[in-house]
Amino acid sequence: MEVSGSLGVYISLFLALYFEVFLLIAFLEKRPEKRSMTLPKHYPAVCIIVPCFNEVQTIGKTLESLLGLQYPKGQLSIMVVDDGSQDGTGAIAKSFAAQYEEIRYFYKENGGKYTALNFGIERTSAEFVGCLDADSFVAPEGLNEMIKKFESDPTIYALTPAMKVSAPRNILELMQTAEYTFGIFCKKMFDNLSAIQVLPGPFSIYRRVVFEKIGLFRRAHNTEDMEIAFRMHSHKLKIANAHTVYVYTTVPASLGPLIRQRTRWVQGFLQNSLDYRYMYFNPRFGNFGNFVLPLGLTASLLGIYTASYSLYRLFSFISSHLFNLQAGIPLHLSQPTLSWFYLNTSMMTFLVVITLGMTFTALLLGQRIAQNKLPIQSILYYFTLFGLIAPIWLARAVWGTVWARESTWR
Amino acid sequence: MRITRYILAFVITAAIFGTAFYITSHIDAQRVADIQATENNLSIDLLSSETQFELLGQLDCATLAQGSILSDELNSLDGRLSVAEQNLGSNNTQVIELKKQYSLLEIRDYLLLQQVAQKCKNVKPPIYVLYFYSNTGDCPDCSQAGDVLTYLRQTYPKFRVYSFDYHLDLSALQTLINIKKVQDVLPAFIINGQTPVYGAKTLSDMEKLIPGLKSLATSTAATSSSSL
Repeated sequence: MEVSGSLGVYISLFLALYFEVFLLIAFLEKRPEKRSMTLPKHYPAVCIIVPCFNEVQTIGKTLESLLGLQYPKGQLSIMVVDDGSQDGTGAIAKSFAAQYEEIRYFYKENGGKYTALNFGIERTSAEFVGCLDADSFVAPEGLNEMIKKFESDPTIYALTPAMKVSAPRNILELMQTAEYTFGIFCKKMFDNLSAIQVLPGPFSIYRRVVFEKIGLFRRAHNTEDMEIAFRMHSHKLKIANAHTVYVYTTVPASLGPLIRQRTRWVQGFLQNSLDYRYMYFNPRFGNFGNFVLPLGLTASLLGIYTASYSLYRLFSFISSHLFNLQAGIPLHLSQPTLSWFYLNTSMMTFLVVITLGMTFTALLLGQRIAQNKLPIQSILYYFTLFGLIAPIWLARAVWGTVWARESTWR
Repeated sequence: MRITRYILAFVITAAIFGTAFYITSHIDAQRVADIQATENNLSIDLLSSETQFELLGQLDCATLAQGSILSDELNSLDGRLSVAEQNLGSNNTQVIELKKQYSLLEIRDYLLLQQVAQKCKNVKPPIYVLYFYSNTGDCPDCSQAGDVLTYLRQTYPKFRVYSFDYHLDLSALQTLINIKKVQDVLPAFIINGQTPVYGAKTLSDMEKLIPGLKSLATSTAATSSSSL
């Protein structure tokens, strides 16, 4: 168990390092450019769809952020699609619609987020269609930056923003702040590799023609934003990242909702990967098929393996001490020694330190790309807590995938 | 998709692994050298004591008793040997050589202890245990036995523990095993020269088996050791 167990951990470390090295190479090959102060040459018609279901706490702030966009009012329409809310979401959205002519409000029976998005797409003729989840807020210059990016490369069919955590307060939110910063780095590097795997709900923008070419959103295991990215790759439609567009999103503040959200994300990735399995190691799909998909799958499995192995080691350690207590040996700790001889200098220790060091480097680069500074607590919580709780949703997601169970939204 | 990026990432990752392996091997080699040097020093100390014994006979028992020999350094050597064994593996040839040398030192110290005890009747004989263990997977109770003895040694620094890997291919050790009639039922303990005792022992079992322990002065100057 010991040798074969650690062999699996070495394989995990090799893949984790390979992933980080690969992304750092991508970074060195093409560094993200800084935001320019120029404006778009043209202001095409844009429709932002706000699908919502019981978002009474945040819908108002979301709509205010859209109204604050620095974009010609006649060219921007905002469509709130209420997917059967039972709280006061509708009342708030209606009051905004009554006050601002660019906002339209629709109510439909609850059918899932993808149905709300499709409802909106079918009712707009704008050249660009975007989505903004009703718990997220976009920075005022966000849409201009998006349109500039579309203008700079006509082959781009969809754009994702840089997502940040809105007003983090407690430990879990601060942990996610660092995680999202790491995500900003990854997303930009995936852009360099033409391998972005998800078009998240908070302010992804599509050319309308995308839906004419490949169809509307699908249920897709409750991850329609991931499935459409997979489908776009399968149709060779380019997805890019506009890292100068900042969107602030509300993240789960307690463990239960966080685990449910991440289980849905990971399970969505796994199930969509199965649906699009023909893309694995298929050279036609470039880095998406050869890097992102295989690594995402193996990361999920090896993450569970490494966590199980760590638990086994922890259990062995605790049980040996319990046996000692049973044998009458009082619990006592070894006295710390300064001698180099007793330092843990195993190969695994070195590799773990290097892997964490490279993760830290990616965090710093993510900070630079996102032009923000992480609080030290965020980094601390990320490095101490994330590895402890992530295996829970990984295991749930794999379990759900194996038994073809539907993940839950909340 | 650029294949060179995949190859470059693989080469760099492999290089990181190679570097980690090199550094680890280098540090392990330093550890082995450190243990080797300590063993050599102890060997000289032991030879000196043996010579001293030959020269003085029973003329100066106090000096002899003081000089003999299972010092803190030999105890800490045991701990360091455990670290080396953990890092390099119990089948590593260097580790096996170090264990052989360590076992020989223990046997020589044990013999000297016996001789001193025999000739110096006015010196209080030390309390000791010969502990036979195995780490080849055939002794599930050895870990706990080692922990019990470690605790006792930390609690009673004058309590002497001579630990031997039962399966170590060392003729002197096998001779000791034969003379003491230690069967292949591990863990095995020989307490103050009595007949072997076998099997798992709790702390209170051990304290009952070694009644003289309480008479040893307690000390807080305990050393840490992982195998013992």
